[in-house]
Amino acid sequence: MSETLIKVTDLKIHFFTDEGVVRAVDGSDLTVERGRTLSLVGESGCGKSVACRSLLQIVHSPGKIVSGEIMYHRSMGNGLDEVIDIAQLDPKGKQIRNIRGKEISMIFQEPMTSLSPMYTVGNQIVENIQLHTDKTKKEAHALAIELLDKVGIPKPGRLVDEYPFRLSGGMRQRAMIAMALSCNPNMLIADEPTTALDVTTQANILDLMLDLQRQYGMALLFITHDLGVVAEIADDVAVMYLGKIVEKSDVDTIFNNPQHPYTQALLRSIPKVATRREELDPIKGMVPNPYRRPEGCPFHPRCAKAFSECRTIVPSVTHLGENHTVQCLLYEDLSDKKSMEQSL
Amino acid sequence: MTEQAPVSQNTEQVAAQPAVAQMKDDSYLLEVNNLKMYFSITSGIFARVKGFTKAADDVSFFIRKGETLGLVGESGCGKTTIGRCIARAYEPTAGEILYRLADDSVVDLAQLKGKDVRPYRKDIRMIFQDPYSSLNPRMTVFELVSEVLKVNNLVRPAQMKDRVEYMLERVGLRPEYMQRYPHAFSGGERQRIGIARSLITDPRLVICDEAVSALDVSIRAQILNLLEELQADFDLTYLFISHDLSVIRHICDRIVVMYVGKVVEVANGLELYTHPKHPYTEALMSAVPISNPRVRNRESRIRLHGEVADPSNPPSGCYFHPRCQYAQDICASDEPALRELDGNRFVACHFAEELDLRGAAMED
Repeated sequence: MSETLIKVTDLKIHFFTDEGVVRAVDGSDLTVERGRTLSLVGESGCGKSVACRSLLQIVHSPGKIVSGEIMYHRSMGNGLDEVIDIAQLDPKGKQIRNIRGKEISMIFQEPMTSLSPMYTVGNQIVENIQLHTDKTKKEAHALAIELLDKVGIPKPGRLVDEYPFRLSGGMRQRAMIAMALSCNPNMLIADEPTTALDVTTQANILDLMLDLQRQYGMALLFITHDLGVVAEIADDVAVMYLGKIVEKSDVDTIFNNPQHPYTQALLRSIPKVATRREELDPIKGMVPNPYRRPEGCPFHPRCAKAFSECRTIVPSVTHLGENHTVQCLLYEDLSDKKSMEQSL
Repeated sequence: MTEQAPVSQNTEQVAAQPAVAQMKDDSYLLEVNNLKMYFSITSGIFARVKGFTKAADDVSFFIRKGETLGLVGESGCGKTTIGRCIARAYEPTAGEILYRLADDSVVDLAQLKGKDVRPYRKDIRMIFQDPYSSLNPRMTVFELVSEVLKVNNLVRPAQMKDRVEYMLERVGLRPEYMQRYPHAFSGGERQRIGIARSLITDPRLVICDEAVSALDVSIRAQILNLLEELQADFDLTYLFISHDLSVIRHICDRIVVMYVGKVVEVANGLELYTHPKHPYTEALMSAVPISNPRVRNRESRIRLHGEVADPSNPPSGCYFHPRCQYAQDICASDEPALRELDGNRFVACHFAEELDLRGAAMED
């Protein structure tokens, strides 16, 4: 039933700074299926945003895709797929510019900073439409109004000619979504789209995104650190820590049967509405300095279940179920790795 | 003050209300009565006043000694304004802020002017949201934490270092790092510096204004635990301002819900979440994301239409009526007063008794 839209294999994105190399994404595998919602979770600085930006080739300097594949299955309309490796495309080339904003579009956390204050909302949407289609300015303008109406902006005919500062945060995020949808994308990447919004506005925006997903059948890649939001909207979840996908499964498994100690700890550290517990159970310490990555498993200094091997051996991907993978030595047969180490 | 009743005929009552203010109950540490904070909107080169933004309008609530009172609402509803009025960073337009001193006498903070506020600054302290912008980058941790002691002459210079060391240890920072500047610390550590800075004067009431909102989940849990631990150890009372309903649920005993400068509901934690009495509270509860995919039920959610009302040009009657699904004619014309339902429960809705509202979905 499910079709692969994007398959990321062993992606590595490193930032070459004066102080050293930051391995922001360090060998991650991800699969985005058509029409489904994948949520990428983790604490700040774990590489979520960088990984997603790479899908559009907008990783900013000094970051570079060092290795790995980003296979994009582009539908040709006749039931066949053309497969493009986005990682190989020139970030300024024509091919990626055809995909960016048209087939894959993105919305960002801060709706104020991601809309230009110099142009009206309508102008910015029309620009994107005209860039990717051969619609006339008039047609594009009409389409912009239609889109604004669809995302629930009241009086779209009037607001289309307003500058972004006249809109509230929630309205700006709606305008961003309208812009992202203007070319009917196959996939929408949402980088913390509701973090800056109030709960009621957040609920409305999430509803809107899911409605539109159903209507257009697009895939949704949703980046967030709010586990409540993940539980509400995701089909699949990938948990990221220091550039690695430490656990990946469907949403029910992640919340009700998490296997990686980091996932378990994350879930324990959030306050729940149902019960007022005496004390929260936080993860000890904090995300380490990216220049001083721990050896072995990156999570071992904070892990409650760490044992001596965790300090030296880097865990590899272990399949626990059909769609459930985890990177943790608890689930690995260590005899092979140990013998390998000894022989080295 | 306009709110004060005319001289009563009842002599007993006159005798019970001497010049010194009184609180309704002995267990209250702070009582806010009909607090108003208006900001004037000016225009033109002569700054003519053309209107007011009513950031806090007729707000009344109380805080008991030793409890944690939560203040929730969407951005722009006046939560922070109220916190700042209590800390007297603002001079309220009208109303009373009664504060009980350690010797049990009561003072009205709202009436104090200029220098008279000073003695209370060490009693009522604030913790701010953004640990990056609330610490001066040119001051060392020692300077930051000791500043308030120095300014108020609270501790002799010889003892200053010991006092700061002790406080840093209490908030979980290593005293050796005292001479470092804030940039050397992570967000969670900076928030600990902010907490040390607030608690160094031995305050009685601490206003936490979105104190954990800018932090990552795991760090947030650490800071919440720290705040609770310090509350028990130092006998603190918290006014906890946040828009995050799961954090509020975790840390607060009682909760005040605000909408556009007004208090719409006050209740105990669990009651508010399970049996809200105000339609706005119901909508808020319905919007809380629940961290269990098995109880996901987006279709039954209450979707609030429209935008939060403009506090400079609020709607008539109940401010919430244009977005309220239960609104009737009376809601557009008459403003509901905040009234007491049963013990400890206050609500400002005409139909609080009739409505059967849904609480938040629960994780399990």
